Amino acid sequence: MRTRFLFSRLADLAFVLFGVSIIVFLMIRLVPGDAVAIMLGANTDITPERVAELRGRLGLDLPFYVQYFNWIGGVLQGDFGTSIWTGRPVAQEIGAHIWPTLQLTLLSVAVGAGLSIPIGCFMAQARGRGIEVAVRVGAIAGLTIPSFWLGIVSIFLLAKLLPGVSALGYVPFTQDPLGNLQRMILPVIALSLPMLANLSRLVRSAMLDALSQDYIRTAKAKGASQRLIVYKHALRNALIPFITSVGVMTGYLLGGAIVVEQVFAIPGLGRLVLGAIAERNYPLVQATILVMTSAFVIVNFLVDLLYAVIDPRVAQK
Amino acid sequence: MTIKSIAAGLLATTMLAGAAQAATLQVAIDSAPAGLDPHLITAFNSVVIVQGNIYEGLTAIDIDLAVVPGLAESWEVSDDGLTYTFSLREGVTFHDGSAMTAQDVAASIARVQAEATGSPLASRVSPITAVNVVDDLTVELVLNAPFAPILTSLSGIAIVPAEFESDVDALQQTPVGTGPFAFADWQPNSYIELTRFEDYHQQGKPQLDAVRFHFVPESATRQVGITSGDYHLLPAIDPATALQLQGIPNVTVQETRDLSYTLVGFNAAREPFGDPVVRTAFNMMLDRNEIIEGALFGAGVPAGPLSPALVNWALDTGEYACYETDRDAAMAMLEEAGVELPVRLTMNVLPRQDTRDIAQVVQQQVSGAFEIELLNQEIGQFVQDWQNSNFDLFVSANGGSPDPDEYFYRTFRGGGSTNVFRYDDAEIDEWLDAGRSETEFEARKAIYDQVQRKLACEGPIAHIAYGNLFTAVANSVEGFEIYANGRLTSLVDVTVQ
Repeated sequence: MRTRFLFSRLADLAFVLFGVSIIVFLMIRLVPGDAVAIMLGANTDITPERVAELRGRLGLDLPFYVQYFNWIGGVLQGDFGTSIWTGRPVAQEIGAHIWPTLQLTLLSVAVGAGLSIPIGCFMAQARGRGIEVAVRVGAIAGLTIPSFWLGIVSIFLLAKLLPGVSALGYVPFTQDPLGNLQRMILPVIALSLPMLANLSRLVRSAMLDALSQDYIRTAKAKGASQRLIVYKHALRNALIPFITSVGVMTGYLLGGAIVVEQVFAIPGLGRLVLGAIAERNYPLVQATILVMTSAFVIVNFLVDLLYAVIDPRVAQK
Repeated sequence: MTIKSIAAGLLATTMLAGAAQAATLQVAIDSAPAGLDPHLITAFNSVVIVQGNIYEGLTAIDIDLAVVPGLAESWEVSDDGLTYTFSLREGVTFHDGSAMTAQDVAASIARVQAEATGSPLASRVSPITAVNVVDDLTVELVLNAPFAPILTSLSGIAIVPAEFESDVDALQQTPVGTGPFAFADWQPNSYIELTRFEDYHQQGKPQLDAVRFHFVPESATRQVGITSGDYHLLPAIDPATALQLQGIPNVTVQETRDLSYTLVGFNAAREPFGDPVVRTAFNMMLDRNEIIEGALFGAGVPAGPLSPALVNWALDTGEYACYETDRDAAMAMLEEAGVELPVRLTMNVLPRQDTRDIAQVVQQQVSGAFEIELLNQEIGQFVQDWQNSNFDLFVSANGGSPDPDEYFYRTFRGGGSTNVFRYDDAEIDEWLDAGRSETEFEARKAIYDQVQRKLACEGPIAHIAYGNLFTAVANSVEGFEIYANGRLTSLVDVTVQ
């Protein structure tokens, strides 16, 4: 049964990727202004011969379907093409941009999701008390404040309070571990705070629901400690919606936290694809979106597997 | 003097020299360059990194925008104005170690001219019909007609090693020039680093160890970065950012009149702008000072066809009658010309903050006679419509040039390469042809005075304003001077504490 599950998911992935590849391919080409127009700009000497020559060199003069089959044929053999602007292999460009995004995502999810469980549990238990109301108001604020605003304000504050501390840009961990982590702090806060707000509210309501169930009363009656009741009996049952949300959020973050990457000048996937769209860098846009789509689908697949671990009834169905 | 004190003195000088050298200048620009091949790039962010830093031309442009020797030590012009003989500097080497010779000059010009290269600079050297290598350090350019702007144009033609003549890919990634800084590293979406070229032909320069260009898209981030000391230099910042940085203690904002300008373009092939009277009336309805106050925070001057930075050429805008705002007279002119008012039009707007703001003020100022709908376009769409002359009006910004011919000829000559306005005026064509072949300054100036007077009011462009070019410099930087053409030419003299 497990293998059938696996295969059906792989088939889904292939189907989704195929659909996405066609949509992205057409969309980026139907947007007005092609790569050649953008390259030559509105302020240079342009002759029709030069435009035609450049189009020919980039293969943009072929019919769409021919371009698509040329491209998809290469992709199936592992060749994603070369970036129109830099001439580097697309796979290499994506490889250079994937690490900051991966690190940012994992750290933000760890902080946001990790803290949301104790906070959510606390809110469920302390329901209605003054401090719980304060946390709840904080959570709503966290939900409504956009990440980019949080990012810019935190940069300003840091520059005011701790001048001389570098918080901008990105250094690979392998090159300078301390500098790397130092530069990750603010973006991770900017990304994880809204996530934390969202998830802790979710944990709270799921916990409230779980705590009112019969088996909790039974556990209390048999004399189990409050701690055991909350974290073993109630939490496990409250985790399913939580895991789903974390999965979806992780998927989005893996697609690059575009705005936060812009604000903190982090060279991640979000900036890569944004720049590629603005430049009409077709091969790069197509390949990056395929990678993002795959990441999204794979994360959701892992979430499905996790359901079975948390709730064995899922696997038996 | 004892040996000891000599030794101490030597030690001190070496230590001082060491201290001055061990420095990297951190520059923040808003986006990554598209490529680094000096003959293919057009974007400001490419040019600012490459020109003067990695590459040099036969001539150079100094801070007053005058032509000075570059890789050529001197030159002679034949009496008929057709032959230019350049004597190259001795002992110049490329970053790869090979010597720069007349062959490289010939190959570089041939590379720009070649159809296969597709260089946007081709038209600047189009009058050159032959490049003769006389000896290793002498090269002779032959023109088909006297072409006065050639010396200015040559400052923008980078000299590359001859081996790249037919290679249009390699230099985009790893440039090889003769400039004070050599290309070292390019981290996509992160930074480009140039390092000091040890064998640079000017002894003792550059002083910096390295220059790193960071790509920082968010203006607030660049602003904080220079305040906190992460960055030393923010070239070409917008007026709003400049205003905010002016109050910060450890940052100086340098400012100069920009060579580039903002403009409203008319489509002369569409009614009612085919009629010069309508274009003049439109000009009369504009109040350029109000536009500068409202959209540019007061940082700018009303623009005529040439930048006041071209002190030798530009006329004072007070000479243009249509720059006196007079709505009533303009309305009367339009009615007399038989234009049915109000005229409904669309105006394409280049996606930049200053052009968007200018478009709104202009929309207000001409309302009543012209009902303008603003189209805020994405850059790709804007460029496409611009190229295809698919507009009634547009608001945009143009880079300027240190010589009048370079701008006028391609923009206003009938069939000119960037004459997207479809403007065609026999008188202007005649004058522009004459200006191009006249080498005597006074006579040439008289021609371009005529051209300016005519274009200012009834040309296909309403020149709006020359803005100011701002560059924020951290106080730890010494020796930086802003150039009106936006180039970072002075980096060669910069030191950083």
